[in-house]
Amino acid sequence: MKRLLVLAALSVVGVVLLYGIGKMPPMNSRDTPDKTHVVPRYLEKGVEEAGAGNIITGVILNYRGYDTMGEVSVIFAALCAVIAILDREKKGRSRSGVDASGVEASVIVRTVVRFSLPVVLLFAVYTILHGESSPGGGFQGGAVIGASIILFTLVFGLPVSTARMPLRARIPMESVNMLGFLSMGFIGLAVGVKFLTYILPGLHGTAAETVRMIMLNVIETGIGVGGGVIFISIVFSMIREDQYELQQDIPQH
Amino acid sequence: MNYTVNLLLMLFLLATAVVAIALKDLLAAVTVFSAYSLMMALLWTQLRAPDLALTEAAVGAGVTTVLFIITVYKTTRKEDR
Repeated sequence: MKRLLVLAALSVVGVVLLYGIGKMPPMNSRDTPDKTHVVPRYLEKGVEEAGAGNIITGVILNYRGYDTMGEVSVIFAALCAVIAILDREKKGRSRSGVDASGVEASVIVRTVVRFSLPVVLLFAVYTILHGESSPGGGFQGGAVIGASIILFTLVFGLPVSTARMPLRARIPMESVNMLGFLSMGFIGLAVGVKFLTYILPGLHGTAAETVRMIMLNVIETGIGVGGGVIFISIVFSMIREDQYELQQDIPQH
Repeated sequence: MNYTVNLLLMLFLLATAVVAIALKDLLAAVTVFSAYSLMMALLWTQLRAPDLALTEAAVGAGVTTVLFIITVYKTTRKEDR
C-alpha cells in the first residue's frame, strides 16, 4: 500500500515535470530565456557597465552584487552554526580520532601531496586574481585553497595542520569576506552614491577604471581568503576530538 | 565526437547517481558521489559554464566529499536496513 502511494506520488511529479520540459523552448533556439530577457543587455553592455572582462564576474559582483553579498553571509553563518554546535578545536586536546586510526599515509601519498600542494595553491591564487578577466573568481579560488589545506590535514594530521594555521591567525581571516564586501559597499555610500557602486563620482577615465579594478579585486580576494579559511575552520572543528571522547572506545570500522 | 562525449558523460552521471543511492556502504557511496561531482564538472564545461565547473570540482568533488567522509567516520559506515 505504502509503495503504491509512493509510486503514485512519484508518477504525478514525473508527469508534471515532463510536461514542463515539453513546454520549454528547444536548446539554442531564439526563445530560450537567455536570449529574451536581461542576458542580451549583460552581454552587450556588461564590459563597460560592470567593468569586468569576464561577464559572469560582472554579473556576480555588479548587477547581482546584493545576491553575492547574501551568499557570502550564508557561508559565514554556516561557520557560525558549525562552531556553535561543534566548538573550536582546542590546544592540548587536538589529537584527533581520525589521526588515531592507526593507518598512516604512505610515502607515496605524502610525497604527491607535498609536491602538488604548492601548484594547487598557486592555481587558487591565479583563479582569485584573474577573476575579472577569466573564468573563476573569489569563491572558486577560495574553495581550491580550502580543499588543498584540507587535503594536507587529512594526510599529515590535525596537529601538524593546526600548528601551521593556528586559531589566532584564522579568526581574523574568517571575516574578511564580509568585511571586504561591506567596506567596499560603504565607500559608495560615503561619497554619496548607492551602496556597492564601483564607479565613484568625480573620477573619470583611467582613474575611475583603476579604482573600480582595485575595488573588485579587494572583494574577490576577500571572498577567496575568507571562504577558504571558513572551509578549513569547519573541517578542523569536525575532525577535532575531545580528550574525553578519546578515552572512550574509538569506533572500529 | 562532442555528442558522443556528452552522451558518455551523461550515462556515467546517471550510473554514479543510481549507484550512490543504492550502495549500503556509506563510505563507498561518498566516493561514488565524488565521481558524480566530477562528471557534473566536466558536463558544466561542455555546457560552456567554466565558472560553475570550477566550483563543482572544488566544492562538490573536494570539500563536501571530505566533510561526508569525516561524518561517516564519526557515525557508522553501514546503512541500517
